[in-house]
Amino acid sequence: MQARAAIRRSGVAIGPERSVGEAARIMERAGVGALAVVDGGALVGIVTDRDLVTRVIAQRRPDDARVDSVMSMPVITIEAEADIHDAFALFRTHGNRRLPVVEGRRFIGMLSVDDLLINVIGELVDLVRPVTAEAIFGHRDSPAPATC
Amino acid sequence: MQAQAGDQIVIRGHRIGEPDRDCEVIEVHGANGGPPYVVRWGDDGHESLFFPGPDATVKHLHPAAS
Repeated sequence: MQARAAIRRSGVAIGPERSVGEAARIMERAGVGALAVVDGGALVGIVTDRDLVTRVIAQRRPDDARVDSVMSMPVITIEAEADIHDAFALFRTHGNRRLPVVEGRRFIGMLSVDDLLINVIGELVDLVRPVTAEAIFGHRDSPAPATC
Repeated sequence: MQAQAGDQIVIRGHRIGEPDRDCEVIEVHGANGGPPYVVRWGDDGHESLFFPGPDATVKHLHPAAS
């Protein structure tokens, strides 16, 4: 499966010149915990709810501080066409919970650890279902080849 | 997904009890009505760039062009 196909939620982006207050309100309205920071179509950073807590509230920055003053960068990304197992490796290596999906430098969506877990569980269910059916109903033998 | 300015995008809730959310398309930045879209969220008027995922659907609120 490609990273593009594993995206389960819409992505939301904001410009680097916008304020952290706006970022927080957009997160609340859109129901997301992270915004891509996009400048001229290119991904330049990511701002998360954690960034707002640790770099704005905890440091007593004003509500009108610019997003690019608190965003996380450089951003670890994954190409849209990359295999989903590459995402597992990136999450494991970097310890982040969100991974922007890009085509070149262009942001197209956000992949989260939760998305990957749901995909893995779906694959496990697909594997377990025939085994469970076999345990309950017994083996379903294929017909013997016809003989003449 | 294809949309025009004035359309509404509805994003379904992801957890039990989480309400659906919606926004209005202000600008279309993709080719042929495709994403991304500049959208406005609710009454407070905050705008952002929106990249629809499988959780989003478009409500075409304008009359179809004849």
